[in-house]
Amino acid sequence: MRVEFILNGRRVAVDVEPSETLLNTLRFKLRVKSVKRGCERGECGSCTILLDGQPVTSCMLLTLQVEGREVTTVEGLEKDDLFRRLVEYFIEEGAIQCGFCTPGILLTAWAGLKQGRFKSVDDVREYVANLCRCTGYVKIINAIYKAATGVAGR
Amino acid sequence: MYRLPEYDYYKPRNLEEALKLLDKLGDARVLAGGTDLILDMKTGRYKPRSVIDIGGLKELKYIIDTGEALRIGALTTIQELVDSPIVHSKTPLLWEAAIRFAYWQIRNMATIGGNLCNASPAADTAPPLLVYNAVVKAASLSGERYIPIGDFFLGPRHVSLGRSELLVEVIVPYKSLEKYGSAYAKIGRRRGHDISVVAAAAAIRVEDGLIADARVALNSIAPTPVRARSVEKYLVGRRPGIEVFREASKLVSSDVSPITDVRAPAEYRLHAAMVLVEDLLLESYKRSFRGGQE
Amino acid sequence: MSQLGFRFLARRTPRKDAEPKVRGLVKYTNDLEYPGMLIGRIVRSPYAFADVKKIDVSEAVRMGAVVITPDDIPQKPFNPRLVSVDEVTFKDTYVLTYKPRYLGEPVAAVAASSEELAQRAAEAIRLEFERVYKPILDPFEAMSPSAPRIHERIMKGDKWIDVENNIAARLDYEEGDVERGFSEADYVLERGFKTGKRYHMQLEPKAVLCVPEPGGKLTIYTTTQSIHNTRILISQLFNIPESRVNVVKVPIGGSFGSSIQTNYLVPIAVALCLKAGKPVKIAYTREEDMLDHSNFVFHFKIKMGARRDGSFTAAEFTNILDVGAHQVQPYPLLGTSLGWFVSMYKWRNLRYRGIAVYTNKVPGCALRGYGAPEVQWAVETMVDEIAEALGIDPIEIRLKNYVGRGDIFWGQGPTVRSVIKSDGVPELLLKGKELINWDKRGRPGEKKGRYRRGIGVARGFHTSGAGGPISGEVIDYTGCILKLNEDGSLDYLTALQDHGGGTLDAHVKIIAEELGVPPDLINLASASTENTPYDVCTHASRGTFVGGECARRAAQILKQKIFETAVRILGRVVNPEALRIGYDEKLGETVVYVEGSDLKITLREITRTAWQRNWGTLVAAVTYRATSAPPSFTVYYVEVEVDTWTGKIRPVRVVAGADVGIPVNPDMVEGQLHGGFAMAWGMAFSEDTKYDPSTGEIMGRMLITDYKIPTAQDVLPPEEFKVLIANTYEPSGPFGAKGLGEAAMNPAVGAILNAVYNAIGVRFYELPVTPDKVVKALRERGETPW
Repeated sequence: MRVEFILNGRRVAVDVEPSETLLNTLRFKLRVKSVKRGCERGECGSCTILLDGQPVTSCMLLTLQVEGREVTTVEGLEKDDLFRRLVEYFIEEGAIQCGFCTPGILLTAWAGLKQGRFKSVDDVREYVANLCRCTGYVKIINAIYKAATGVAGR
Repeated sequence: MYRLPEYDYYKPRNLEEALKLLDKLGDARVLAGGTDLILDMKTGRYKPRSVIDIGGLKELKYIIDTGEALRIGALTTIQELVDSPIVHSKTPLLWEAAIRFAYWQIRNMATIGGNLCNASPAADTAPPLLVYNAVVKAASLSGERYIPIGDFFLGPRHVSLGRSELLVEVIVPYKSLEKYGSAYAKIGRRRGHDISVVAAAAAIRVEDGLIADARVALNSIAPTPVRARSVEKYLVGRRPGIEVFREASKLVSSDVSPITDVRAPAEYRLHAAMVLVEDLLLESYKRSFRGGQE
Repeated sequence: MSQLGFRFLARRTPRKDAEPKVRGLVKYTNDLEYPGMLIGRIVRSPYAFADVKKIDVSEAVRMGAVVITPDDIPQKPFNPRLVSVDEVTFKDTYVLTYKPRYLGEPVAAVAASSEELAQRAAEAIRLEFERVYKPILDPFEAMSPSAPRIHERIMKGDKWIDVENNIAARLDYEEGDVERGFSEADYVLERGFKTGKRYHMQLEPKAVLCVPEPGGKLTIYTTTQSIHNTRILISQLFNIPESRVNVVKVPIGGSFGSSIQTNYLVPIAVALCLKAGKPVKIAYTREEDMLDHSNFVFHFKIKMGARRDGSFTAAEFTNILDVGAHQVQPYPLLGTSLGWFVSMYKWRNLRYRGIAVYTNKVPGCALRGYGAPEVQWAVETMVDEIAEALGIDPIEIRLKNYVGRGDIFWGQGPTVRSVIKSDGVPELLLKGKELINWDKRGRPGEKKGRYRRGIGVARGFHTSGAGGPISGEVIDYTGCILKLNEDGSLDYLTALQDHGGGTLDAHVKIIAEELGVPPDLINLASASTENTPYDVCTHASRGTFVGGECARRAAQILKQKIFETAVRILGRVVNPEALRIGYDEKLGETVVYVEGSDLKITLREITRTAWQRNWGTLVAAVTYRATSAPPSFTVYYVEVEVDTWTGKIRPVRVVAGADVGIPVNPDMVEGQLHGGFAMAWGMAFSEDTKYDPSTGEIMGRMLITDYKIPTAQDVLPPEEFKVLIANTYEPSGPFGAKGLGEAAMNPAVGAILNAVYNAIGVRFYELPVTPDKVVKALRERGETPW
């Protein structure tokens, strides 16, 4: 079946099976590799994308469900000022270790920042629930909170 | 367990089309947000012949305040409930369950209708809706039907919808809880996103120093989410206080049938339920002075 | 923490790979594609203990899939982990088998042009079973004489040996006279401990891509901590010379020990690739990853004796290791468990009995710490108990007995001994004590009410690698190549991996410091087995200490060559010893100069001249074995709050101290401690794969819905986590540095549970301590209202 949607600002059209997940379409047909396969069960958040600006787990979405909608991955935010600022904080804080969870977390954080959801450190911890096994979260939370307020979380 | 099964996919453009499809197709499952259905299809629990994607039915996404109740469209997402000021102020129990629901990514897709129709014994929105005595509206080609939430859950993953019926609306009569204090809490295995080990909602109304009405509902502790009738019955007519709440909480064992599973032993579930019930009754009581809710 | 005048080291700098990681440009194994690539899927045994009679592949073949069964693979047993020398390597694994010994063991495999097709083909394979046995899930049951044998004969080195009572390996050790030691004790304590079976849950599920090249060569990309060991194993299994197998280093999404060994999917992909003549990729689902390997289960019985003054007199340690269905070298784990134990405190007299036992569970492999978190939890619990019984301050008793500076240390096993030269333990214990308000922690008996807080302490360590003066049973050496380019920039090649902890960044900084060349002119070149000298594996926290020192030596050699070349150019300078090299801030260049004169030449000019005048390339190739494996010490103070009604526990404050010598990357030291604490929290309270006793299947269908690792909400808010870095210097390490990866976690569980004891007066000897266990313990003491 044919489905059309907007990927990082560009209109794309793909032929998909009804049982194809957006994760698989992005990775295999559209070659967007920043979206990761961590569990495919909606638990880990590594496959997070933004759907009309809201973070969702692409492994739990059928591609057919996103007909006509906007899908954003980190590739689409490269020129976004808020994203660049967020990324700078991540790098400065040292919030990246193996990097596998990073794209998913960045998208979630960016959406949260854009929506003004991070009024406190606790808000960050509440809304950024992606799994990370390397960092223990401290530097990630600091980086996001800094980006939200320009102040360190410590 | 790895791949999604094959099915015919339909995407109705409006409610009428959806109902026609439901009527025509046997062995069809309705896809709303997909956070339950897609996982269930991946794990092989369901292998439907057809999938009807109702995600495009914008007419089922709304939150309307009638002055006495909130009418919530079945496709309203859990995050939309969290972000709604009227849900927050008028049906705070539902709001509290919504913010504890999984995590942000899931809340953005999961719908209230989906959560109810999936009918997991752990359904997060169920305890608050049971306390509010919510009513769900089902539609089919033959018309509409109202089902009180207490009659909606028949068993694990089994609801009293006919094969060609679609849940379209959840009606939450908040006005009746106006003079009540209420509270919700969820115990999981970790503080971050989790399926509940047990979760509960409670509401009590105190008049002339005595408990006039009490409502307590729990999930994950019986084949369906339940109202703890023995607890409620015990409370009515008594003077509110810690001892009364403690005694009442112990009675929860008559209303539930916890199982041991990979998440928790039955004994612990029951114990946690009693703690929750006491905590919530106390909190509800405190809030009843302050006019209902925080 | 002092700067000590380093130009590039001991400073917070952004990691080199940060930018590609944030832009999603890093290609992990499963992101790689190759034209014509087939996707492989593995057919797994549905029974935990069975003999397969027949594998019917007809339908899969008819579907056009490439299919392999055990008949397609040379049936020689192997051990997937090649870190031990061959003589003590126990081999009982086959690439595919007719005799699956755990539920999920690979029996056959298919490859097809898409994942979908491959999955269908895999589902079309029919297995017929000769016999299905009841799975044995308990090591004590497995050791009983009546238990059926999980394995009958295995190989040790190149000899076949019989397996008796399902015992996979043994290690015994004695030192001094234990009986006398206990008789001299005023207080003797005996305890038993049991852990859960944890799973690594690295975020990237394992994957492999095998590509056939012209000329019969194979290129392999895979999630591995050792490209060389993967190459050697594949070469051995398939009888292909190593020169025709190239394993490429690919970024890895965390590992924590799960890829020290060459995992099942690699030889399976190779076999499919050889049969199909096409590239084959296999990527595990999360559930398959959980079925591939997980941790061992440890059963300890420990007896300790102490004098009234707190000095220890003897210890007896029995270690029953539940190995799972196949050995991934539990034998060296028996050795390291002993090593960790022995190196915690001076026992003076010691007896150790280690037995590794087969069960029908997922094979155990190293998980961050390789027994140290488990051993240090047990030891620190008992030391706390002894301190309490004797009325001695828990910190004092530790300071009195611990193995520290000047003592002989053998963390990695009896054949690897050295003298400790750097030791930050007193500094960390005493500073941390102030920060956490140790003296105000109160006693468990004083604490009442529903919510109770407690503070606990624990100390521990890990080795920096497994080097030693004599070659023993463990292979541990590395190598690297460092070359100067024609413009004065550098290319650096090493087989060591960065799992995320920043190891390779540390190497770059070390080279930068040695040569005065800024880190951004040092290229971390793409590495593979064919362009790097052998490195055993990135494990045992050896990346910085061993790998970094190797890099430093390479830089030193290059420095000499630079000086010799400079002498040729400068003409007037006779002796290279007069030359110095450093980064000139004003010029913005690396310069070679003579102290006390105006002779100066930039590195850029030196390399350019060497190029233009045909003098040759300045390059250093080094192979290096560390002669010691010094301990990095860590100390944790943890405050927890226990809800005595629900049994739920939350962290309140942590002070984590690390003695890493000179911290090459202070940022990453903190990052390791944060991550180590989170992992410890999961180990203490939630992580366990539970097995269905009748089927041997992991309960919860292997879904991580039911394998809970901590989220951001479960660990502390950042402002409550304080890090201390000790002021020490390790003379045998590159610029004084030691490792940290595992030490960052090792003692944390002990500290956490000692804190729980301080809160509620209950000690737990079985992990994980789930809320129901807390409630049960409190209820037994009559402390719960229900």
